[in-house]
Amino acid sequence: MSRISLVVDGNRYVAEITDSALLLDVLREQAGATGVREGCGVGACGACTVLVDGVSVSSCLALAERYDGARITTASGLPADDEVVESFVECGATQCGYCIPGFVMMAHELLTENPEPDKEDVVRHLDGNICRCGTYAEIRRAVLAAAEKRRAR
Amino acid sequence: MLDQRSSENPADNTTSPASPGLSAVGSRRRRVDPAGRVRGRVTHVGDVDPGSTSTAHVALHRSTRPHARIRSVEVDEALAIDGVQAVVTGADLYAALGEHVLTGPAFQDQPAMAYDRVRYVGEPVAAVIATDLATARAATESVHVDYEDLEAVYDVDDALTGRAFVHDELRPSAVFGDLRHLNGVRDTNVNYEFRLARGDTDAVETAATGVQRRFWCPPTHHVPMELPCTVAWVEGNRLEMLTTTQTPSYVRQTVADMLRLPLSDVQVRTRPLGGSFGSKMYDRLEPLAAAIAWVLRRKVRVVASREEAFLLTTRHGARVTSAMRADADGDLVAATADIIYDTGAYADVGPRITGKSGMVASGPYRIPNVSIRSRCVYSNKPSAGPFRGFGVPQVTWSHESLIDELARRTGEDPYAYRRRHLLREGDVAAMGTVMHSADFTGCLDAVAEAVDWANPPERGEGRWRRGQGIAVGVKAVLTPTVSNAVLQLNQDASASLLISTVEMGQGSDTIMAQIVAEVLRIDSHRVHVVPADTDVTPYDTITAGSRSTYHTGNAVRLVAEQMRERLLALAAEQSGVPAGELRLTEEGISGSGHPEPLRVEDVVLRHFRARGTTLTCASNFTTDWVPYDRNTGQSAKVTEHWFAGAVAVRAAVDTWTGRIRLEHLAVSGDVGKAINPFLVEQQLSGAAITGIGHALFDELVLDQGQFVNGTLLDYQLPSLGDMPDRLTPIIVESPHRTGPFGAKGVGETGILAVAPAIANALRDAVGVRLTELPLTAERVLNAIERKRAEESPQESRQQSPQESQEGNQ
Repeated sequence: MSRISLVVDGNRYVAEITDSALLLDVLREQAGATGVREGCGVGACGACTVLVDGVSVSSCLALAERYDGARITTASGLPADDEVVESFVECGATQCGYCIPGFVMMAHELLTENPEPDKEDVVRHLDGNICRCGTYAEIRRAVLAAAEKRRAR
Repeated sequence: MLDQRSSENPADNTTSPASPGLSAVGSRRRRVDPAGRVRGRVTHVGDVDPGSTSTAHVALHRSTRPHARIRSVEVDEALAIDGVQAVVTGADLYAALGEHVLTGPAFQDQPAMAYDRVRYVGEPVAAVIATDLATARAATESVHVDYEDLEAVYDVDDALTGRAFVHDELRPSAVFGDLRHLNGVRDTNVNYEFRLARGDTDAVETAATGVQRRFWCPPTHHVPMELPCTVAWVEGNRLEMLTTTQTPSYVRQTVADMLRLPLSDVQVRTRPLGGSFGSKMYDRLEPLAAAIAWVLRRKVRVVASREEAFLLTTRHGARVTSAMRADADGDLVAATADIIYDTGAYADVGPRITGKSGMVASGPYRIPNVSIRSRCVYSNKPSAGPFRGFGVPQVTWSHESLIDELARRTGEDPYAYRRRHLLREGDVAAMGTVMHSADFTGCLDAVAEAVDWANPPERGEGRWRRGQGIAVGVKAVLTPTVSNAVLQLNQDASASLLISTVEMGQGSDTIMAQIVAEVLRIDSHRVHVVPADTDVTPYDTITAGSRSTYHTGNAVRLVAEQMRERLLALAAEQSGVPAGELRLTEEGISGSGHPEPLRVEDVVLRHFRARGTTLTCASNFTTDWVPYDRNTGQSAKVTEHWFAGAVAVRAAVDTWTGRIRLEHLAVSGDVGKAINPFLVEQQLSGAAITGIGHALFDELVLDQGQFVNGTLLDYQLPSLGDMPDRLTPIIVESPHRTGPFGAKGVGETGILAVAPAIANALRDAVGVRLTELPLTAERVLNAIERKRAEESPQESRQQSPQESQEGNQ
């Protein structure tokens, strides 16, 4: 067992963890971040994606002990006027919604790296995420709309 | 891009904001809690206290053999591990509950855990209960089982002709009376056979043109992103559970039967599901979790890993050997089909799928002579159950490939040829039921127009070839079924709706609120739909089979109408104006003598003389059918209503790699009336995208009963990059005379015709007809090379070694 501290969506947590504990489980079970979800356990679906200092991480593959002191952002912790969240809502880019927080985090990373993405950029960056309800057209439109919204602000 | 038909205004491409108006029937209002969904704040079952220390965590030791007798199970080593609290074997459950550990919707054939025999690789044999999940999972390795191997049944040929039998005898459940005659039948793997006979199929012999093929659809998996999870505990002498199920009412009955409890002592609660598509229904984790909780008197949590979720259910692999014949004028004269659904180790609803899909195996066409045999067989593989489409995509694959080929043989355009033969309003379908509110021609026309069928793409001569394909689908809604609704109108004119329909992304909570709002003239955002809880929400058959909009929607419409009458009666009492002269509007209740409307809030307040009070109404909506004749499959009313759908595709085929690129896919569905057009479009598009996966790459591969690709590293699913360049969902509205506001369901309509439409585009582009799904690059390339070799044998280096392997599985 060891002790790590995490800042999750601006709140500090101290977690007691085993050596093999996954970041996903620590976030869900000890930080209450249940919007971070397991879909495959092998880093192949993107449902567990969080941003660590702005960079996307598949938390189902990440050993928690490596993230001592990290600042972690989940979709729940985004600001009230977040452009990506707003655009997803406006474009109806959810069905069941289980996978959507992962798409939101990938969209954030993309827009940080590339504020003016085109359709192909969106496809390339978000192609590793699976939405089994098939909300892809709405998601693609939402990410482009978020980029536009950001530029306008 | 996602097109919206007849909407030039780009603003229509998004959902409507909360105002103005009531956001009632016909509104494109947003689904319930969109921001919560986007931010991950909607709580699913697995999100409820995931690391609970007061709950014991369950992991399962699973069979390594496809078919074997269990000689003994050794648990002491696992029990000695720190943190392990108990190990329960299938035999322990059998000792406690006897034959009641066997459950199933059609056959009582599936044990909560295997106790005497294992029937597939991955079947649970023992459960380790520990303080945390990691400990429980690790300890399953320390359970040891001694097996005596039995001969296994790996495919439909083994099932039909082999000497091994998955079950010693058939055990129909008490639920379906029409399966009773199968009770005790031995020495067979065929658990159900459906036959349809109409006209004289010997006419096939005299027909001028005919096409015959053997088709194969492989097993696939639903892969909803949410993993199945069940938490079960004992409270007093009641069994209570929170679980990921589409069928809470069914689960309550099953658990009550298993534990011999009155229904009142079993509580099944759900949360919104993170997708399901048929995977989370009937007997999944629930019987096992309930039995363990009951025997140990402990609160237990069972969650499936993704690899385990693959083992819980699959879509039926199906072989269809079929033919269609036309006379000298090109008129369809006969169709035959021999269908075999591989249902795996346990029947689940395989027998129902076999009948309800078998009866539409000749397609939505006017054909005077039809002969169909549809069989459901056991094999030593994970059980197959319902999957969006309920077995119909497998037969649509057959009839839409056949008719396409037949059109080409007769020299007619595949679109026009279908149109000429499609069933119209009032026609009698092959199983004897009259068609109503099933606008096949409208659906077909809409997709043909969307892809500009009349101006086909340039075929091309180089590496890339282009083509177009089209297909239609027909499916019956699940009938007979029962829905109930309870409505509480709160004194502040908001409402709480109690139904057992499970929200799983299809948007039922949203459209049911819209129906209430339409009748009671309140904003649909003021209607809360209570998540299914069998202690509170009334019986509903299942949330599946695209049945909820029509069945539960009708119960909801009825209960809202009752509430309206109740309010008018109260207002009449209070105002002295006869109820018949009063009207409920957005402003309140008004009548000729009352220019100033009475507000609903005030009417209820005056009635109870208290704030916060509730008025309650309840309703029921039940549909009935005429069971089909056992020999001819004929029924005057086999279903309450029909789903009609069509797909048209423009595709480019890379003749160097065999890859198919979808340039435009249009999908239409007759929904009667769209309660929420935006959600209907999402259902059509979403189903089409699942269908694209089934068409191009989605397939569960098994080797001697063992999954080869049962993880998401290996199992391919459609992602953003697999989207067609354009995807156009199209709503067709042919109102149903008894649908709520004319509406029918839509969940499955969009998936039916996708695979054959794509295969037909491939045929159009490069001239090859594939009969096995999926249309992988390898299969396409082999077919192109085979065709080349056949056309110019002297040029090909060698005769292609790949003989057709149609339907060999």
